[in-house]
Amino acid sequence: MTHAVMCEDLWKTYQRHRAIGVKSLLLGADTPKETRFSREWALSEVGFEVPRGRSFGVVGPNGSGKTTLLSILLGTVQEDRGRVSLNGRVASLLELGAGFHGDLTGRENVFLYGSILGMRLAEVRQRFDRIAEFSELEDAIDTPLRTYSAGMIARLGFSTIINSPADILLIDEVLAVGDTRFQAKCHQALREFRARQGTLVIVSHNMRELNEVCDEGICIELGRVVDAGPIARVVVRYQERMAAIAPGKATGGAPGNR
Amino acid sequence: MPAVDRSLPQLAELLYVLVRKELKARYKNRFLGYVWALANPFAFAFVYWIAFKFIMRMEIENYSLFLITGMFPWVWLSVGVTGATRSFIVNASLIKKVSLPRAILPLGNVAQEMVHFGFALPAIIAFLWFAGEIRPIASWLWQLPVLLALQVAFVYPLALSFALANAYVRDIEYLVGIGFSLMFFATPMVYPITMVPEEYRYYFELNPLHAMMQSWRTLFLQGTLDVRHMAYAAAFAAVTGVIAWLLYRKLARRIGELV
Repeated sequence: MTHAVMCEDLWKTYQRHRAIGVKSLLLGADTPKETRFSREWALSEVGFEVPRGRSFGVVGPNGSGKTTLLSILLGTVQEDRGRVSLNGRVASLLELGAGFHGDLTGRENVFLYGSILGMRLAEVRQRFDRIAEFSELEDAIDTPLRTYSAGMIARLGFSTIINSPADILLIDEVLAVGDTRFQAKCHQALREFRARQGTLVIVSHNMRELNEVCDEGICIELGRVVDAGPIARVVVRYQERMAAIAPGKATGGAPGNR
Repeated sequence: MPAVDRSLPQLAELLYVLVRKELKARYKNRFLGYVWALANPFAFAFVYWIAFKFIMRMEIENYSLFLITGMFPWVWLSVGVTGATRSFIVNASLIKKVSLPRAILPLGNVAQEMVHFGFALPAIIAFLWFAGEIRPIASWLWQLPVLLALQVAFVYPLALSFALANAYVRDIEYLVGIGFSLMFFATPMVYPITMVPEEYRYYFELNPLHAMMQSWRTLFLQGTLDVRHMAYAAAFAAVTGVIAWLLYRKLARRIGELV
């Protein structure tokens, strides 16, 4: 069986000086401070393969490179080395409300987001009733998004991607704001998506969620894959490692200055 | 390989929803929205009319028509490009969190200002009719789309290039703003080029912005296509188009981590 998502030997470094200003051009840039998050490589040697119809979970502490990894899979960030390959139509939910606009109603935002995801407007129209029903937003669907709570925005975003014709879903820690019942509904929908041969890559800090929806996964720390395998085992070992580190020293020293 | 395959009609729809989003957000009230789209250029034209015709008593025939017919295309050009310059920064979440052909964002600004221009056209024509008794001629039906297309081709490469540059060097947006303020006076916008001393006129003629604006004026005031100026504007658009395309190929990939 061919893979749905595959990456091998991914390396990524971020330039420390992001956008340059006239001041830094004229006066030279000052050296950025080393923090526990700074390191030479945001990602190094990351590789995995997800077959079609499987769910893949990514765990790891804050700043370990999980979002960078999803961004590279989606193509919004360019890898320095390595290879990424996705087979199928992709829909992503990487940030709460990305692509949404506060002054548009929920309904208008569904059309906007659907179009951003690559759907034709006719396709969105055809699926709109299912999207609205799944979101359970009822009359709120016709009020401006700025009146929504974070949970409501997550409902709208998730309802749109789960009812889109995507083969691959990339989700980054956005379900956390939904209420318990809606989360359960999302997990059920994700399992059904997988049953339809859909492929999922999800970043989450909710270990129960990962256990519920994923088959396999990896743990990333400081940009490296430190564990891979069945999700239950990855989660248990990750929790053990985190528990072993005394609070306050969570991610350890920075290897940024070699 | 892009994560999302898009057809040309899908891209057109995407541009449509992006522009509609901006217009909707900007003008929550439809009628007032229309008034605001017209107010700025008319106000500017009025101020210059007061300054040059009323106070300084410049002897120019049909000065108000001259101002109005240049002002609206200029606003499209300058507001479109300055807005586009910031488009990658303003839409950072669209750059970083969804897969989108990035070139569509500055195009959205250009299209948005084109819509404003389209809104203003009836008002411009009405003004020409009543103030100057210039009747739009049937030939406009095909001449106007030609100039609209030329203006898009002229504005978009500038918009895209500055947007890309601004993602790398943030101060570009201020320089572009200052640049357009200076160019407004360096380009014969509030004075006709015939008032420029003869020995300098050649340099003013070299300004591609003048060629574009003069093309509009000739269409509005004489109802004909100004082939010489249009050819120059088209040549400029072709050159900047190639530059913008090269810049896009080279610079667009890293923008996700810069904004």
